[in-house]
Amino acid sequence: MKLLTKTSLNYLSVTLFVFMFGTIAFYYLLRNQVNQNINIELEKRKTSIVNQLLSAHASVYTPQNQNEKVIITALKEIPKPQLSFYDTLFYDNMAQKYIPFRQLGFIANFDHTQYYIQIFKSLEETDNLIVRIFMIMTILVFLIIITLLITVRQTSLQAWNVFYDTIKKINNYDINTHNDFALKQSDIKEFDDLNKVLISMTERIKRDFSNMKEYTENASHELQTPLAIINSKMELLLQSQNLDDKQLKAVADAYDASNRLSKLNKTLLLLAKIENRQFPESKIISPQLLINNQLETLEDLIESKAIKVIKQFDDDVELCINPYLAEILFANLIKNAIRHNIKEGELIIQISNTFICISNSGTELAIDKSLLFERFHKQSSSPESLGLGLSIVQKICEVYSYAVNYRFENNMHHFQIAFKKIAN
Amino acid sequence: MKILIIEDEKTLTDSVVEYLHEEGHICEAVYTYFDALEKVELYEYDCIVVDINLPDGSGLDIIKQIKKSAKSLGIIIISARNSLENRIEGLEIGADNYLTKPFHLAELNAHLKSINRRINFNGNEELILNEIKILPNQHTAYVHDKELKLTKKEYELLLFFIANKNKVITKSGLAEHLWGDYMDMADSFDFIYTHIKNLRSKLIKEGCNDYIRTVHGVGYKFTICE
Repeated sequence: MKLLTKTSLNYLSVTLFVFMFGTIAFYYLLRNQVNQNINIELEKRKTSIVNQLLSAHASVYTPQNQNEKVIITALKEIPKPQLSFYDTLFYDNMAQKYIPFRQLGFIANFDHTQYYIQIFKSLEETDNLIVRIFMIMTILVFLIIITLLITVRQTSLQAWNVFYDTIKKINNYDINTHNDFALKQSDIKEFDDLNKVLISMTERIKRDFSNMKEYTENASHELQTPLAIINSKMELLLQSQNLDDKQLKAVADAYDASNRLSKLNKTLLLLAKIENRQFPESKIISPQLLINNQLETLEDLIESKAIKVIKQFDDDVELCINPYLAEILFANLIKNAIRHNIKEGELIIQISNTFICISNSGTELAIDKSLLFERFHKQSSSPESLGLGLSIVQKICEVYSYAVNYRFENNMHHFQIAFKKIAN
Repeated sequence: MKILIIEDEKTLTDSVVEYLHEEGHICEAVYTYFDALEKVELYEYDCIVVDINLPDGSGLDIIKQIKKSAKSLGIIIISARNSLENRIEGLEIGADNYLTKPFHLAELNAHLKSINRRINFNGNEELILNEIKILPNQHTAYVHDKELKLTKKEYELLLFFIANKNKVITKSGLAEHLWGDYMDMADSFDFIYTHIKNLRSKLIKEGCNDYIRTVHGVGYKFTICE
């Protein structure tokens, strides 16, 4: 849930709760106040009626108007008279509806007889007034709540815009693009502080990153030069005529080892570069073309092992990938499929819009499948193999969010690369 | 061929000079940017071999300088930098080849030979070694004037052998020449064995002497006396 939605909801529920109880309380307070006023009025009338009864012997006339109506009953006739203020309803013939009245019952002595006297006061007008006041109040409060909500939401939205913009930019931030981290200015101090901290943080990371890159590059450079010297000296030594077989073998072994070292250095550097996303520029390439090229360069080996190549290419498959990495990717997979193939085996290459699958005949692997893509993990103990080919494949797939997996089915090894991103 | 080597690492330069000298080239070596600029201005060379990282300047600037003076000579970059951008930049400003350190001397030699053909013979040269004739321009090889049906790799292999004739060529040197970097070496050694076996049998079938010798545990040698 967004923070804004959360605060809005909280605000709404609290205000609505307060508003509900407030209006109920308000209604009863108002009602109470009005009743008190009416009660005072009725008390006044009661005094005047009692006075009238006491002073004059004139008959008290019964007016038609309900408001002035007085009902006098002998007390004996009423078993349980109500002696206070209470509300009642009378049917109004003229208006043809029940009208609420406030009634006061009291007992007065007259001619030594006790009478129960009731006087009334209509509540119709006051009720109307209460309802109107109540309505106006309700609408007013409701309007205030709504306008407040809208204003708060709008200002918050504007303020949070900067925040969302920042989040979006952090999400899209790629340290390899060398783009500046242009964050929006905000008039809110907290957000401005956040942006400032982020900018200084990314600056620091960028600096560290470029330092690291420089370091890797320098380290590799520094390693390559002495290796180049060793290799060249060994190569010269190999040419010398007066070496016996034993010495020649020793030089050759040392030469091979230093070669392996330099190759390892180069390959690890490549892996680091792939991991650091240092191959940013992508082009639309045709995997068919690349794979055909690879097959062409490897045709001698395919022939020598009498491997049957089966191509199942869909038309117009295109990939958006760095061409250099694509070449390494396919080269590694195809070479792998040829090396681990059996004599007169099959090499099946499937290209479709969603995946590329390279399969070859062979015997089941002795090693754990999950270790297949691990660095320096190799089935053969052959010292010349670096065991980095498949981890390069995996790293390249990682960069482009391709899913690479291996399975063994029908005496064939299948390496499948499934794409999510397809160039339009 | 007259070659200038610009490389600040003296011991490496010595090896290169020695190897190329044996091949019959005239080699001069300089170790700094300014010395290199002076030499290039004053003398004529057929080819320069230049390192990018020099202590007092960039090898790329030397190449730019040469290209400005419109001298036609071969340029080979040797650099420890291995990134694609460096490679592309080097080739864009007019270098013929880009070798990353550590490189094989045989590889450098093969590149120099091909530059030599391009510069001095416009590529129309015939390479003749006893019964073998190669027309580099057409990528064809003949034995006793009969065309050999070679695959691309076999042809490259033969050319590489001839460029480095009478030298011990290591398996890894061959592998890198044929397959470039990033190839698992176990693959390449098997592959090279296959290639050489095929090439050998094709040559012998046409009546060619068996010049390719296996130097046990080391590599191969194309032994030929003209």
